[in-house]
Amino acid sequence: MLDKPASALRIRERLLESERLMEETGCYDGITELKLRNQDPLKFETLHTKLRAYCVSAREMARRISASPGVREVGEMVVAIYTPEGDAIALSNGIMVHVHTMSRFIKWMIREGYEENPGIRDGDIFANNDAFIGTVQVPDVMDVVPIFHSGKLVGWAGAVCHELEAGGITPGGDVALAQERFTEGLFVCAEKVGVDDELRRDYVIRCERNLRMPIYWVLDEKAKVASCIDMRESVKALIDEIGLDSWMQISKEFIEEGRRAQLARTRQLTVPGIYRGHTFYGHVTAGKPGYQPLGDPDWLYNMPIEMEITTDGKIVMDFEGTQPWGYHSMNCTPAGMDGGMFVTLTQHMNFEGLVNDGAWMATELKLPAGTWTNPDNEMVATATSWALLLPAYGVFQRLLSRSFIARGFVEEAFVGQVNSPMIEMGGTSQYGTPFGMAHFECAAAGSGALAIKDGLDTAYVGWNPESDMGNIEIWEQNMPMLYIGRSIVPNSGGAGKYRGGCSFLSTWLISKTDHLRLVTSEHSSRVFDNGGLCGGYPAPTCQKHRAVRDSNIFELAGKGEPLPHHTGTNPHRSELEIRLEGEQVTVEGPYITAPHKTGDVFTHSYNGGGGYGDVLERDPVKTAWDVENGFLTPEAAEGVFGIVLDEDAEGFPVANLEATKRHRAEMRAARLARAKPVSDWIASERERVRAADFAPEVKKMYASAIRLSPRFTRDFSDFWGVDGKAAFGVE
Amino acid sequence: MSSYSKEVIADLVAGTLPWPQTRRIMSAYKDDDRFFKYVAVLQDRVGWQDRILLPVSDHLFICESAEGRVTKCECGHSFGDYRKNWKLAASIVVRDSEEALREIYPNSDLPDPEWMEIREFICPECGTLHEVEAAAPGYPIVHDFEPDLEGFYRDWLGQPLG
Ligand SMILES: [Zn+2]
Repeated sequence: MLDKPASALRIRERLLESERLMEETGCYDGITELKLRNQDPLKFETLHTKLRAYCVSAREMARRISASPGVREVGEMVVAIYTPEGDAIALSNGIMVHVHTMSRFIKWMIREGYEENPGIRDGDIFANNDAFIGTVQVPDVMDVVPIFHSGKLVGWAGAVCHELEAGGITPGGDVALAQERFTEGLFVCAEKVGVDDELRRDYVIRCERNLRMPIYWVLDEKAKVASCIDMRESVKALIDEIGLDSWMQISKEFIEEGRRAQLARTRQLTVPGIYRGHTFYGHVTAGKPGYQPLGDPDWLYNMPIEMEITTDGKIVMDFEGTQPWGYHSMNCTPAGMDGGMFVTLTQHMNFEGLVNDGAWMATELKLPAGTWTNPDNEMVATATSWALLLPAYGVFQRLLSRSFIARGFVEEAFVGQVNSPMIEMGGTSQYGTPFGMAHFECAAAGSGALAIKDGLDTAYVGWNPESDMGNIEIWEQNMPMLYIGRSIVPNSGGAGKYRGGCSFLSTWLISKTDHLRLVTSEHSSRVFDNGGLCGGYPAPTCQKHRAVRDSNIFELAGKGEPLPHHTGTNPHRSELEIRLEGEQVTVEGPYITAPHKTGDVFTHSYNGGGGYGDVLERDPVKTAWDVENGFLTPEAAEGVFGIVLDEDAEGFPVANLEATKRHRAEMRAARLARAKPVSDWIASERERVRAADFAPEVKKMYASAIRLSPRFTRDFSDFWGVDGKAAFGVE
Repeated sequence: MSSYSKEVIADLVAGTLPWPQTRRIMSAYKDDDRFFKYVAVLQDRVGWQDRILLPVSDHLFICESAEGRVTKCECGHSFGDYRKNWKLAASIVVRDSEEALREIYPNSDLPDPEWMEIREFICPECGTLHEVEAAAPGYPIVHDFEPDLEGFYRDWLGQPLG
């Protein structure tokens, strides 16, 4: 029961009016003229910078309250300030994906009549982690508080942390085994969890009794509330200074300016037209314990994306032709899809930091109903939606990059983000207590290459532009595993003139526990999901898990013998097999298995990024450096890149430029000799397509796409000159 | 607003501009005269005279030629009308076996060739690898980019094409 909204209307009517004004004028909330900006542009910029400073400092303060290494170490948090209608005015750095998902959460409460019941009052705290209301996945728990001034609702302050434990069927946050909503963990569905600036005791008790590691969630809640109150008080003080009318006007002008800036930026950096790309995701669970037989255990998804840039600067992304939602944890809601768009735009086009929901308003997403991007069933699980979101928005990055290359801004072209598998764990800690945690060192994979240099090694993920793997010592305090290795994975970047960034691999000794559950998610092993650009190759697919149960590592250590610190470079025989005795385990896809115990050794490898440009143009001198430093193997240098390396007097690799030139000329000739005209290849493949002579999962993928999308059916049939429906038995 | 010399743009495009300078360009406001300087740099690089209208990949350009607007390789090979998918006029190497994938991924676990193949689109004349697709067997070849060339020159560059 809000006393008086700043406008004479109730907040729900105000939201509808705002949407109507946008529809009618094409401008945010009917702001067709930036009056305050035009009056005093300097003051306008200063105020927006101030708001951003409120956000950045509130987030930094909150990180010091949190107990979670995800938030403290890796910065898995973002905060933002919103209009009364729930549109973001200013935001902090961090996991910016959530700025717009929180916007959806606020609007959802307004639309659902929260003004009447449960009421929206000064000091209230609302929380949500329901992706169909507005977040990406269950561990992304958000808190918002209304901002009142002179008894009127004048905005919202919001904060999100990614929780390291969500209380689902498997431990951690990205609950790999969830096949429906009911196994994803603890849901808080747009709930009033606090009043008078304090979290309700009964809410905290519910968290304490339903999570494996409540200290992370509960202290993160306190951190978020503190940051929201901090932002709220700053905004109130600002309103005291500039006046309420001025605040109501300028906050909307910031958003309209953001919208216009995004359109202008698109016209400045890109080229209008239609861009297309695709990626794939393969899921392998057959025979793994715990999966209910609700759908196919193994499946392949295609993710085609068509991006249109119109001459007025609007970016439209269309996912038509992709696959239906399924009984797995990788579905995504429109809120999550928005989030992916937002975080990608903020990195690639809005780099000066004055970004807000206006940027999002200058774009449009077409998400076909019934697909994984827009499920027509709200019972589906979205616990690991990043598994599909990341490769999809990696395609978006490559499409945008092609437009930057066409326009000449080669320094902005970036082959894009990577899908990198996560490791989650739970059981009995090294202290003998129950625990659960998502290990967030995955926040530092290898990036895609740039169009002018190699990708970043162990320093990038798409979902948090401030990527960080965290310190080993901090992670070791929080789990019963000790690092016996953390090393660069050679050749893990896609090959190219500029290679993708390399990833790393961790090797752990399980220690001081008799019950450690290890689970991994976002693990696409059967296909490439991190593509290359302009002749660059995709990064290698997700690597298999390699572990040793009941190893003799303590015995080896006692004798002072060498231990394995990584898996090595022989895909057929790992260092674990060479150095350790015990039960050797190799697992493809999600790691769902019996608990581990002291003396077991486990490895987990992250992914590198895609390459850029023709491999035969790679700089031999840089390659010698890469070999010396373990980013490339000598056999890749010669076999893939055509670079002949000699050794100098001290045994370091040096490029032999003459021999390289000769070797590359041979490789180019061999390439041409091996190639055939595309028209011949199409003619020879046509019969295979007509006969649908493919693996069962591939056949199912085509049948599903054809069933869902007339456009896919038409494009497929036209391309091959084959009746797609008849080939795949679709009515 | 920023503006850089043609030499600086040439070094940037070649990947030889020192990193601190590149970094400054990335952080600064963008130079609005970039496109034509960029095209001039590329025009110097190619060994032919046809006017480059739009670069579409690392070594592929849409240009004005005697046979109309075509997609051309840096070596001069023409892939035909720019509105058609140049890949259909290219040569292809398909890696659809473990052995063929292993050549590119010598030390890693491999995808299943039954689920995924690599398609390399190559200039039939000079052998440059212009684009790589990673796709399920049977997936139609993608037409990567259909620029709105007329709209770009008319509305964004303010220099309509004749
Ligand atoms: Zn050529």
